[in-house]
Amino acid sequence: MKEKNYAIKIDDLTVAYNYKPVLWDIDLKIPEGVLMAIVGPNGAGKSTLIKSILNIIKPIAGTVKVFGKPYKQQVDKVAYVPQKGSVDWDFPTIALDVVMMGTYGSLGWIKRPGQKEKKQALEALEKVGMLAFKDRQISQLSGGQQQRIFLARALVQNASIYLMDEPFQGVDATTEKAIINILKELRHAGKTLIVVHHDLQTVPKYFDWVTFLNVKGIASGPVRDIFNDDNLTKTYGINYKVAVNK
Amino acid sequence: MTNAQLEIQIIAALVAVACAIPGTFLVLRKMAMISDAISHSILVGIVLGFFITQDLNSPLLILLAALTGIVTVVMVEYIQKTNLVKEDTAIGLVFPALFSIGVILIAKNANDVHLDIDAVLLGELAFAPFDRLLIGGMDIGPKSLWVIGVILFLTLLLLFLFYKELKLSTFDKGLAATLGFSPVILHYGLMSVSSVTIVGAFDAVGAVLVVALIIAPPATAYLLTDNLKKMLILSSFFGVFAAISGYWMANFLDASIAGSMTTVLGVIFLLVYLFAPRQGVFSVMFKEKQQQVEVSLLVFLLHLQNHTDPKERHVNHLQEHINWGKVKSKTILNLAKKNNFVTIDANIALLTPKGEEFTAEALKYITTNEETAIEGLKKRFFLFRG
Ligand SMILES: Nc1ncnc2c1ncn2[C@@H]1O[C@H](COP(=O)(O)OP(=O)(O)OP(=O)(O)O)[C@@H](O)[C@H]1O
Ligand SMILES: [Mg+2]
Repeated sequence: MKEKNYAIKIDDLTVAYNYKPVLWDIDLKIPEGVLMAIVGPNGAGKSTLIKSILNIIKPIAGTVKVFGKPYKQQVDKVAYVPQKGSVDWDFPTIALDVVMMGTYGSLGWIKRPGQKEKKQALEALEKVGMLAFKDRQISQLSGGQQQRIFLARALVQNASIYLMDEPFQGVDATTEKAIINILKELRHAGKTLIVVHHDLQTVPKYFDWVTFLNVKGIASGPVRDIFNDDNLTKTYGINYKVAVNK
Repeated sequence: MTNAQLEIQIIAALVAVACAIPGTFLVLRKMAMISDAISHSILVGIVLGFFITQDLNSPLLILLAALTGIVTVVMVEYIQKTNLVKEDTAIGLVFPALFSIGVILIAKNANDVHLDIDAVLLGELAFAPFDRLLIGGMDIGPKSLWVIGVILFLTLLLLFLFYKELKLSTFDKGLAATLGFSPVILHYGLMSVSSVTIVGAFDAVGAVLVVALIIAPPATAYLLTDNLKKMLILSSFFGVFAAISGYWMANFLDASIAGSMTTVLGVIFLLVYLFAPRQGVFSVMFKEKQQQVEVSLLVFLLHLQNHTDPKERHVNHLQEHINWGKVKSKTILNLAKKNNFVTIDANIALLTPKGEEFTAEALKYITTNEETAIEGLKKRFFLFRG
């Protein structure tokens, strides 16, 4: 495959917090149009990997290319759904407003969002089934609803690549299904989705691509080829056994 | 009211608004204490600036002092980044050091300079009208009015231009960064505005009490609104109100102006904290009570639905059969009757069709835990809220 066919290509990436590496020499090629899970134990560096793709954390070595170019030149092609706990939900604003923030990137500095942006936000809210809550103060939303708001915000970014950090964290079965359906829909529309995921049981059902990560990159490829006990054991430790329903 | 009095109040009001705007963002970013650090450490900058310019209102002095504020922020962040101490500790390490240097500088040179610690700490608003700005021999008003006026104008201009960016980076730094709005630039922009404002305000309310004007109005407004724009407006309003009423209080009591303003700010916060409609102490207590009543009503109705035995439905047995907690059975019974949920026949309670419907729906809400179900329920049934 040619380089530009990779949505994301990571070479020799090493990331450290206070000079203590938490990601060692990662090589990762993510083809365009996959729905990919990143799995690994707590502290494996999954969030860190996503943040370094987005340049939120500067790596101490290595490169990240987004469609063959540095992230800085591709900002508008990438949408990010952070871990829900990363923001203060007591911030004085309503759901619709948070979703509109997704349009700020295409607006650039100074310009304000207008009717067009509002319409986009309302459509995204509709898609995630949250239209009825558009005027609700964000602290008065349940955890699953907050997650949907984040998803809607990513949808209005209208990106080619979606990076999501544990979108299923603390949501009920209905919301999980709603979210995965939207993700699958996005993949059918040709988008690339990269999702940090903890529930190993659902990996084969939800995803077609998987990356095993634990400080080092362990394996990455199609779920049907590499989602096996061998890789799971390498990632999670020697005694790890999981019932994989194929 | 004399001309000087009017001028003092205008200055105080402008200071209040100039403080409330950056203050709102500082409070939301949980960085209110950094303003305390800035306000103390700028003393060094003010003293040094005064040695150079000999004029407390000189723009050079303001810039020098504001620079000390930024240096403070950088130092605090540097110490914090080592991960050896927490942020509040880092703040506590930096500003007393800088502040004491300022105090020593003043004490050492007290004989040659007209600058005393009281003036810097508490402000000299009462004297502000006497220091006039003359252009070509023409008096165009007090100097400090112009200083704070210019600062406020710039603050409002920046707020207008970068409102969206400030909001985004305050709510979600990560998204701001990924969308190309550098949180670092916005952070230091906010810090610079805060520093300049604090320096500009020290003439009026002193470099230390200015912290009250930065923190208290936004903290009060935060209890009253869910909307950032309204929070900015309310903060400004509280600030101006405290500034003007504080001035008159000081006049009346012959007390310090800055001290009176701070007192008013404290009283306003306390009142709002107690009486705010949604988050106030009393309204929370009231809501809890109301919820207790609502839950008890549901328990009562479910009990009626579950038991056909008249003995179980006898009014006098209600208190024994259902553990009401603190709520009186009489209140519940009246509430149920008022809503036509039950009829009482020879002291035996019986659910009406409306009561049946309500109970069934409430049950559905409880089991599915669906937000939307309760919303509809409230709209159609909860007559007892009013
Ligand atoms: N800001 C930080 N400063 C210092 N160390 C950090 C910081 N953030 C993360 N770490 C460390 O880096 C390592 C990787 O963290 P990361 O958040 O990427 O893990 P993760 O795989 O996302 O874990 P989880 O499943 O718990 O979300 C952990 O050991 C963590 O303690
Ligand atoms: Mg994580």
